Amino acid sequence: MPNKLEAYLEEISHFLSGRAEREEILSEIRSHILEKAAAEHGGTGDAAIDKAIVAYGAPRRVAERYAEDRPIIAPAYKRYLFRYTTFLFAIHAALTVLAVFLKKELVFFPLLYIPRVGVFDALMYLPAAFLADLGLVTLVLYFITQSGKDVRLPWPRFGVDIDEVKPPAKSFWASRVATAVGAVIMLAVTDFALYLFARHHTIFFVNLDWSDPRPLFTPGAGRRLSIIVIAMFAVSTMALLIKLFTRSRWADVASNAVSLGLLGFLMSTPFDGLFAVRIAEDVLPKIKYAAKFTLLFMALMTAIELVKSLVLIGRRRLAKT
Amino acid sequence: MTGREPDIGSLETEMNRGFLHILVLALLEKDMYGYSMVKHIEGLGYRVEENTLYPLLRRLEKNGWIASKWDLTEDRPRKFYAVTPEGRSLRASLLGIWKNQNRILDEIRKENANAQ
Repeated sequence: MPNKLEAYLEEISHFLSGRAEREEILSEIRSHILEKAAAEHGGTGDAAIDKAIVAYGAPRRVAERYAEDRPIIAPAYKRYLFRYTTFLFAIHAALTVLAVFLKKELVFFPLLYIPRVGVFDALMYLPAAFLADLGLVTLVLYFITQSGKDVRLPWPRFGVDIDEVKPPAKSFWASRVATAVGAVIMLAVTDFALYLFARHHTIFFVNLDWSDPRPLFTPGAGRRLSIIVIAMFAVSTMALLIKLFTRSRWADVASNAVSLGLLGFLMSTPFDGLFAVRIAEDVLPKIKYAAKFTLLFMALMTAIELVKSLVLIGRRRLAKT
Repeated sequence: MTGREPDIGSLETEMNRGFLHILVLALLEKDMYGYSMVKHIEGLGYRVEENTLYPLLRRLEKNGWIASKWDLTEDRPRKFYAVTPEGRSLRASLLGIWKNQNRILDEIRKENANAQ
């Protein structure tokens, strides 16, 4: 038996793996190719077999022709994929925030386990949680699709329905002008912050007297926090400038992901010995709590924006298939 | 009019799907093997891709509309297919649908011709 034919059949077999009638399919193809090579190309030598194989088609394409037309997730359930994932992730994110504040693990056996996490750990944990939620919903919809039954799933509605979010009704130029104005303002803010940092090694002050500025934070902490905040300004500026040329949501994804990381660095800054000015002992814990809450809220909003952008990108890709 | 030829590739594939069912069920009134079917169809001025025909035969067989058996008496083993009574009944139904569709199109064509 010509080796080329066996190699070709082996490759088709690889793509057919799992099918009970695989051997029978391969026998049919083998029989056809030998028949064709002998009848049309003068024998069953390598050259003749080669020609017959080329005419039969690439192994993956051949194997795909045998696939039943049953998708992994039925088209009718595609829209549930992101709806349910968003819903599940919202609960997951809220419980994660709760676990951070309560400083304890949350167990809802056997559905959910959220370990005891700090703020920074929580930010690292949330993307993995999103993927786990997406995987779980995919699995459920996969089993429903494969069952072939018409299962009527509930359709939860939110205040803002991502499905019904329409693109802004502004004209092309109006939206570009708004973005350009935003970019110019952010560029000015970033430049001013850079100027202050170059001159005073910090951008946080307790007074606005530029002849004798008094920094809010100690030199080391002030430098670290200033660099992070300037980086956040720069990221926002870059995102706005990119949006002048493209409407791709990947720009939002990239900007939100970097901002999330920078917020994580902000939150991981030690609070003790932070201030260069004297603050009353009883007020300090309140400031600490408020700062932590504000940063966590900002991180949560950024994470939601990030997930929303990814969901919209995913939905658009699914709509194209 | 743009003057450009319309791309009918995917539409043709869709139309062929139904036609191929009738064609194969009609052809298999006598026993045939895959390669002989491809050549016979080519001789009639139509072309069916080999890698389309075999999966179709498999689906028809799975539904009991055709039956197959291997012939090992020749140099090379050949798998022969033949239509079953259920396949004949399906073929009659499909032909009925096809004839009705043709009649409808003919009538519309006549209506259009009269209106001009």
